[in-house]
Amino acid sequence: MKTIGRVCSSALLLTLAALAQEIPGKKAPSVTMTPLELQTVTRGKANKVELQFQVGSGFHINSNKPTLNYLIPTTLKLDAPTDIVLGVTYPVGEEASFPFAPDDKLSVYSGTFNLAVGVRPLKGMLPGKYVLRGNLRYQACDNASCYPPKQLPVEFNVKVVKGPPPPRHNPAQSPHIH
Amino acid sequence: MRRDPVVIIVVAMVVSLMLVYGIHKAHQGTGPSANSSSSLQGKLAPDFTLTSLDGKTVHLSDYRGKAVLLNFWATWCEPCKIEMPWFVEMQKEYGAQGLQILGVAMDDASPKDISDFAKQMGVNYPIVVGKDSVGDAYGGVQFLPATFYVGRDGKVVDKVFGLKGRGEIQDYIKKALASGPVTQAEK
Repeated sequence: MKTIGRVCSSALLLTLAALAQEIPGKKAPSVTMTPLELQTVTRGKANKVELQFQVGSGFHINSNKPTLNYLIPTTLKLDAPTDIVLGVTYPVGEEASFPFAPDDKLSVYSGTFNLAVGVRPLKGMLPGKYVLRGNLRYQACDNASCYPPKQLPVEFNVKVVKGPPPPRHNPAQSPHIH
Repeated sequence: MRRDPVVIIVVAMVVSLMLVYGIHKAHQGTGPSANSSSSLQGKLAPDFTLTSLDGKTVHLSDYRGKAVLLNFWATWCEPCKIEMPWFVEMQKEYGAQGLQILGVAMDDASPKDISDFAKQMGVNYPIVVGKDSVGDAYGGVQFLPATFYVGRDGKVVDKVFGLKGRGEIQDYIKKALASGPVTQAEK
């Protein structure tokens, strides 16, 4: 009986999955961020933190540099304590054509993409744990329709540590041996 | 009574396939009524008061007696951009028969940006600046393009989401045009 139950459940799941594929708009586009463990960053230095995002299957979002000026670019805005300088580097979009515009090449992200966040705590910053929060703004489409721009809350933690002590210079020694 | 597991498995699979096929046909069929939601169909299209890009007040009810293709779109919607040149041609082709295409821009962009975009696309039909309340009245326009075909009697004939083929759009237009009496001028 267990086997029958499993087969029936699988059939039901397959049905639901098929329905999700067939009904346009029923499956909302999703972009998610892979949770990130605590990142250790050294104060006074430029550190790189990689954030990984997944675009739901069947959808794409515009890259940070869409090929057409009226398309909405993907952007990450982060708030940070004043003692941390941040910068975001976006990957180059994948050039793709879609059934709705076979002659246009669009620059998009789909599947998994990474954003590199440069984190530079200032030298005078107190070591400790800090939370960086922000929003990823994106606009998704599938093969036949587009969804209004959305914002994904983004959050990750950094641990600011002191840098290694500067190399000690030996005091100048007298060339003369006494 | 002991049931044969193979029979149960086969029945479950057949039921699943029938369900998928049925819903697929309902949404992907070839007739003009396919891919339409029934919630508004046959009912009076919700009237609205919106402002056109040239500053005029537009009510949907202003077009009573005409078949209206009500197209919700946005400048950021690439599939919408594909339809627009077709709509331009269809407005020319079917306008004399009583078709009025009306674009509803569901943009955050400024009216000037929308206007520039529309000019760039050569749009020859009125475009009004949409409001969420109007989208809600039409069942919530969650993605674009979304097009409602309104008959001459003001009732929703069809509602279509996503980009459709040119031929399909023409079929919807013909159905909307056939939905009520033709005026003397259109004969």
